[in-house]
Amino acid sequence: MPADPLTLPHLEKRLEPGERVVARFQMDLDPQLQFQKGLLVLTQLRLLFLAENPAGVAAFQEWPLERIGELTLEEMGATGALNLTPTEPASRVQWRFTAGLIKEADTFVARFMDQQRGLGDDTPAAMPAAADPDGDDEGLDFADLMPETVHGNPMLRLLKFSRPWIKLIVLGLLLTIAATSASLLTPWITGVLVDKLLIPLQTKSHELSLQQLLPYAAMLLGTALVAWLLKWGRTFVVARIAELVTSRLRRELFEHLQRLSLIYFNKKRTGDLISRIGTDTDRLSLFISLSFIDFVCDVFQFLFTAFILFKIHPLLAFAALGPVPVVAWLVRCVRGHLLSGFAASSRAWSLMTSVLSDTIPGVRVVKAFAQEQREIARFRQTDHHVYSTNDRVNRTWSFFSPMIEMFTDLGLLIIWVVGALTVAHGTLTVGVLWCFVTYTTRFYGRLEAMSRFFASAQRAAASAHRVFEVLDVEPDMPATEGTRRIGRLSGRIEFRDIKFRHGSRQIIRGINLDIAPGEMIGLVGPSGSGKTTLVNLACRFFDVSEGAILVDGQDLRDIHVEDYRKNIGLVLQEPYLFFGTIADNISYGKPDASRGEIIASAKAAHAHEFIMKLVDGYDSMVGERGQQLSGGERQRISIARALLINPAILILDEATSSVDTETEREIQRALDNLVHGRTTIAIAHRLGTLRLANRLVVLEDGRISEIGTHEQLLQTSGTYARLHQAMQEVSHA
Amino acid sequence: MKTPAAHFDLQRDAAGNLIYTDAAGAVHANVLPVRLFPLTDPNHWVAITSAAGHDLICIEDLATLPEDARIILLEALAHRDFVPLILSIHAIRRAAHGYEWYVTTDRGQTHFTVENDESIQPLASGSIVVMDHRNTRYLITDPAALDLKSRQKLERYY
Repeated sequence: MPADPLTLPHLEKRLEPGERVVARFQMDLDPQLQFQKGLLVLTQLRLLFLAENPAGVAAFQEWPLERIGELTLEEMGATGALNLTPTEPASRVQWRFTAGLIKEADTFVARFMDQQRGLGDDTPAAMPAAADPDGDDEGLDFADLMPETVHGNPMLRLLKFSRPWIKLIVLGLLLTIAATSASLLTPWITGVLVDKLLIPLQTKSHELSLQQLLPYAAMLLGTALVAWLLKWGRTFVVARIAELVTSRLRRELFEHLQRLSLIYFNKKRTGDLISRIGTDTDRLSLFISLSFIDFVCDVFQFLFTAFILFKIHPLLAFAALGPVPVVAWLVRCVRGHLLSGFAASSRAWSLMTSVLSDTIPGVRVVKAFAQEQREIARFRQTDHHVYSTNDRVNRTWSFFSPMIEMFTDLGLLIIWVVGALTVAHGTLTVGVLWCFVTYTTRFYGRLEAMSRFFASAQRAAASAHRVFEVLDVEPDMPATEGTRRIGRLSGRIEFRDIKFRHGSRQIIRGINLDIAPGEMIGLVGPSGSGKTTLVNLACRFFDVSEGAILVDGQDLRDIHVEDYRKNIGLVLQEPYLFFGTIADNISYGKPDASRGEIIASAKAAHAHEFIMKLVDGYDSMVGERGQQLSGGERQRISIARALLINPAILILDEATSSVDTETEREIQRALDNLVHGRTTIAIAHRLGTLRLANRLVVLEDGRISEIGTHEQLLQTSGTYARLHQAMQEVSHA
Repeated sequence: MKTPAAHFDLQRDAAGNLIYTDAAGAVHANVLPVRLFPLTDPNHWVAITSAAGHDLICIEDLATLPEDARIILLEALAHRDFVPLILSIHAIRRAAHGYEWYVTTDRGQTHFTVENDESIQPLASGSIVVMDHRNTRYLITDPAALDLKSRQKLERYY
């Protein structure tokens, strides 16, 4: 294999003494759109291009900065291109890459332009932050850009997860060994009983004496009691370990999910996440508390019995255990089959939960469009998928138990034949043969249980994998990033040339806007123009791709996120009420609010009177399964919630667009109290909501197209005038 | 929000209706007292509403009211309120639609049907609300204070 041409020494060789890398960009396509790696490096002197080629020799090109006219980024759907136009009349150069790299390319171009303008070489902003995910300017190592190494075996990680309870685990193991040994004593005692007591009795060479029988009975009772106590202890200890481990898993999963950004949740199906936290961890708990401990028992018993068998009669043991290698070989054969089968079954299951979590909350839409039959068909299909994947994997593992039973019978058959012969020869007593038969039965029983463990281990591994998959998602916006603690803000917001890209789509294309404390800004514009994204950026649900948002003169990214959010009141189009009382819902953002404060904010939100009319007043249960409230009532509760935290910045995202005009008027009155004295950014389709706005900002295609008061904008007869016209027509129609 | 106890003037007319005279001297006939937190804090935050349902005054603490007005108010509230406190549970049996509860409350013995698990809800204060199929609410103020047998029965369903 040729050495990777894109390695650090290779690049270093090309650099002049004193030449320093400013930015780099690794692309993944060649001009013919074939997958091939290439590297663009920007130094303070030149632009260098290195490419891997099939012969293993790196292609190399360079352009001194002064010879470059411009470097531009072009988006082409699934791919992007960087176009270099040299100053001298020469052909244009184009580099291609998949759309996932557009953000990096964009940063690279920005660095290039800084460099061309003779800017920023030494300022921290020129550090190739986005092109170098580790923020490590020296480490020009391509390993950084390689996909993250896959994390270890999920079952081993599960073991690591249980490390805090190592003492408990050791205790469980000790109890297991003790319990197993105790239960293994029984056949041995019985064997002695047969030889010393029963055989002589039958041959009439002896009379039955209770004195002789009693010690054996006592021993059998004793071992049974000891085994019972030990097994009780073992089962309890192990079940507790299982609960502790899975409880930690669930907790960490949920905590981890809460740290992930909205982008992650937009991509994920709710049902799938719920099933990972619920079903998959439960499967792991069952696995640890039942299967795993049984397996450990089985292994001990298996080894002990084998040992005892060989101790009693090596020849007989060889004969009896003859079929074991065959079983081991069969287990090996079906292994891969089972693993993929259980993974498929787990996926089918989460698909089914997804359909459920999709259809049940959307039941109104389903009924309204009379699509019950279709949903039934959809569910039937996914359910059948669950059935068939399970059925397929069942076919494989159900084959095991009968097969092992068959081998047990075979082994016993061999013992009876060989045993009868040896007893006839007088080298073996009936008691020992009896004891041998019992041990052999146990031995094969353990083997069967172990093969069953195998199936559940594969199932658990599939679940563990799904759980760790979520835990391995890096929070894309760490809450710890901003460290500056702040109190109450005055509410000045500045958007400084911000851009935002989601995936390959540029949503915000450069917005500059200063909002004074206490000012109300109305955002209008067609759908998809970036209004909600702008508001999400202001809430710091996402971070800007470029530029900066400043609040009270401080960069949003430096401020502690929780401190900042305490300054924000958010009223959404679809108010979300949690399950709980109305008082709990109003005080959601400030759980220690007094009842007086709750009532005061409900009054200000014009919610007090309808709440009084409910039988339980503020103690009425609302939320998914609670009291039925109208859209306007829910909205006013959410306004009371925003009012209670007395935010410096208020964000209204289409707060009135989902209700009728009468309700809108009520909500409007509630909002008037809310916006007073706060910096407000309001998105509205109904322009009436914006009558209090100091300025209206019209967004189009990620840019500000118009800005001004209602009257000013009407006079310019631009987009706003058109929207206003359309609204008038709708309301008069 | 302060409690204008000094101005609180609530009276009962011959027909038994409540008459409230506000601080400005306006007389409101047929007013209705409403507990705002009937389950979590019944003794604070009582609103007096007009016949049309508008809020006239909010009383934070009943103890601050003049004695006679307070008695009238408490009577009126007691007249309207119906949240029996469950004192002991005799039996919970499977019924056609849910479970039939046989209980002794502070208002005597009764039985009622609880439709599903969601009808039994904890409150932040630690008490439990049980709602029957007719939406009557029963309160268990302190589940730990019930007798052992009642507690065992409750634990099976909650």
